[in-house]
Amino acid sequence: MGAVTTTRQTAVAVDEDAQYLTFMLGGEMFAIGILGIKEIIEYGSLTVVPMMPAFVRGVINLRGAVVPVVDLSARFGRANSAITRRSCVIIIEASTDEGQPQDIGLLVDTVSAVQEIPSTQIEPPPSFGARIRSDFISGMAKVDGKFVIVLDVDNVLSIDEMSSLAEAGQAPALDLDPR
Amino acid sequence: MSINLDQALQTFIVEAHELLQVMEQSLLQLETEPADQGAIGAIFRAAHTIKGSAGLFGLTPVVGFTHIVEDVLDRLRDGSVAVDATLIAVLLKCGDHMLELINVVASRGETLPPAALEREAALREALSRYQAPTHLPETVPQSIQTVDAGAGTSAELLWHISLRFGVEVFRNGMDPLSFLRYLETLGQITQVTTLTETIPALDSWDPESCYLGFEIDLRSTAGHATLNEVFDFVRDDCEVSIEAIHEASDRAVSVASEWDAQAEQGPLTASVQRLPAASEPKTRDGNYVRVNADKLDELINLVGELVIASAGASLLARSCHNDPLQEATSTVSGLVEEILDGALHLRMVPIGDTFNRFRRVVRDISQELGKDIELTISGAETEMDKTVVEKIGDPLMHLLRNAMDHGIESADARRAAGKAGKGHLSLNAYHDSGSIVIEIADDGNGLNRERILEKAQERGLVASGAVLSDQEIYNLIFEPGFSTAEAVTNLSGRGVGMDVVKRNITLLRGTVDLDSRPGQGTVVRIRLPLTLAIINGFLVGIDTSTYVIPLDMVQECIELDVHQRQSSRDQGYLDLRGEVLPLVDLREHFSHEGSAGRRQNVVVVRYAEHKAGLVVDDLLGEFQTVIKPLGKLFGALRGISGSTILGSGAVALILDIPALLNQIVQLEARTAQAPYSPTVVAR
Repeated sequence: MGAVTTTRQTAVAVDEDAQYLTFMLGGEMFAIGILGIKEIIEYGSLTVVPMMPAFVRGVINLRGAVVPVVDLSARFGRANSAITRRSCVIIIEASTDEGQPQDIGLLVDTVSAVQEIPSTQIEPPPSFGARIRSDFISGMAKVDGKFVIVLDVDNVLSIDEMSSLAEAGQAPALDLDPR
Repeated sequence: MSINLDQALQTFIVEAHELLQVMEQSLLQLETEPADQGAIGAIFRAAHTIKGSAGLFGLTPVVGFTHIVEDVLDRLRDGSVAVDATLIAVLLKCGDHMLELINVVASRGETLPPAALEREAALREALSRYQAPTHLPETVPQSIQTVDAGAGTSAELLWHISLRFGVEVFRNGMDPLSFLRYLETLGQITQVTTLTETIPALDSWDPESCYLGFEIDLRSTAGHATLNEVFDFVRDDCEVSIEAIHEASDRAVSVASEWDAQAEQGPLTASVQRLPAASEPKTRDGNYVRVNADKLDELINLVGELVIASAGASLLARSCHNDPLQEATSTVSGLVEEILDGALHLRMVPIGDTFNRFRRVVRDISQELGKDIELTISGAETEMDKTVVEKIGDPLMHLLRNAMDHGIESADARRAAGKAGKGHLSLNAYHDSGSIVIEIADDGNGLNRERILEKAQERGLVASGAVLSDQEIYNLIFEPGFSTAEAVTNLSGRGVGMDVVKRNITLLRGTVDLDSRPGQGTVVRIRLPLTLAIINGFLVGIDTSTYVIPLDMVQECIELDVHQRQSSRDQGYLDLRGEVLPLVDLREHFSHEGSAGRRQNVVVVRYAEHKAGLVVDDLLGEFQTVIKPLGKLFGALRGISGSTILGSGAVALILDIPALLNQIVQLEARTAQAPYSPTVVAR
């Protein structure tokens, strides 16, 4: 009962007292808000798309829809995630500039739990030291006495940024496309 | 109820747009054949229907203006006004104005901006010259109703209308008041008695039902048929009888039976009269169902899934070695294919409507340019995908403008060159082996080969020593950065270049090429796929990945034996029956890991004049596939145009051969440090 009332109080104070999905990546724990998450599926049967940057792992068939899968570790500028038995793809609805949402899969090592993190437990991101681009971090949450990086999904999965990276990766197509 | 009325209003707007288009087409036809009674009839009916429906919705500005137009058209119909160029020009402008009125007044519920009102006043002024001489000059639209009564040529009669609305009238989105309002535009209502005896006691009163009846005395010059038409919208829901009080002969006949007969005969005789006159049968009413395009797309999407699912089932059945099962799945596949064809056909529309829109454009532009140009349209009935039809309009428009501006010379220059003063432009569409070809031909001066070559060399598009065929030179005008800036007028040179035309067509998976003869004219040929949703593909395997090559680009497949493999790897090309075939190792190009399989094959693809061999591991056969767009993330990806889902559930990527070849040409050009030349890959 007490828990319920505190929840409500914080909810009134700051409306960001939301639930978060925590997951592991390269031995580190991260969290993302669950509102944008559509589902979590097991990793399997991925089609590699050639000539794309390393963080675009490929595409999967999600019940008839073709969904791109982003390797989060590679997106952070690290090595590609190794595929294990526990590798998962988190399907997230990402927004684009045109306002039409697109589903994107996020490849992570393991999915841990859905947790409620009070907004009072979330600190602003450090300006450096997290070894991840600071605009990817929306805050540092304290869970069980340890810091968990809360990701800013909109920036991490910014389709416009990723597609411009992909374009830059395609150096030959940059100048004079005769079509 | 208000929602219902909104829906009815939407229908009115859509119909009015169509009617205005019919009106425009008929006017243009009338311009070429001034004696075409069918065209005059069609114009009159269009205006009349718009006026009638607008009256139902109480759109006074539309009714007011359309009434005058109708008046003139009526006189045109009975021959008291002759068809001439000025009248047609005025009527075309009137059509534009009606469109604006409908857009502003009906769609947005606003009043016209002052500029449009000025235009309207000018048009009214112009029209008044054609109206009956007894017509009183008037300027304010509101005064029309009173003017109407006096403006008529036939004798005024007193009509008695007994009107009993059915209970469903409100529920069907009709407002009895609007009928009375409309009647007022036809004449003067001298007396209205509202009949309330059918209204039930309060406890059984249903507020959504209509219990009203009216007895109306109307003084009007309108004929029986016109009055009868007022009630077209509620015909099923109400009882109407219309009697002329002063006409003894009419009374003798049972009124009800008379208009029953008329209702049946009227449209019939009209269409019989029209059919021989009109060049294209316009029997669209009744045989067509209006369906929301989204619903169709949804259906086609589902059918696409069905195709994939049935391919999956067939695959499974084949692996089971169960003959009856295989037979059953093959029957299902056959049926699914038929459903697919049928579903895709639902989206097919004739290109004629798009073509006909250009008649007006050609007319206006040729007048603007001071050239005499005639547009001939053929193959208007050729059907193609709705999306393609919608998207091809702009490129076509651009090509037409170009042809009129740069292609066709002025009348004097034409006569000097020994040609007829009148320029000819033709639009033609036809089916050709799984694709659609649209031809735009003019009989102008043709392209200046030397000038293009010079310009291209100037811009560094072609190496100075390169020898190009005529075809290649002409196609240079589709290159970006290439401009025929020699003569920029306000028609062309508006920032939309031929490269944009080509890009738009390429986006539709089509190709465009050009043929020109000096002094005789130019033909632009656009080749488009029948549909955007589905392609016939050829499956190839590299490693564990599967790729789809559009089948219409595949020429042949050859096996690469060990000996050839080594030599082709060293050289980068292959001897194909004495022809040099440049090779692209897809495994290498797509940086697939692992070494090549024991057997490799070459798929010979052809796009325009480019021919190349794609080295792949396995040939997996033909496959009809539903195209799934890859999304914005892959927007920058060249060489891959989309994806599809195989029967196994895996995703296969569709190769974009033109882009792929271009990309490789660029890569080679870069490594060789040579200026770009479109001939590197060719032959």
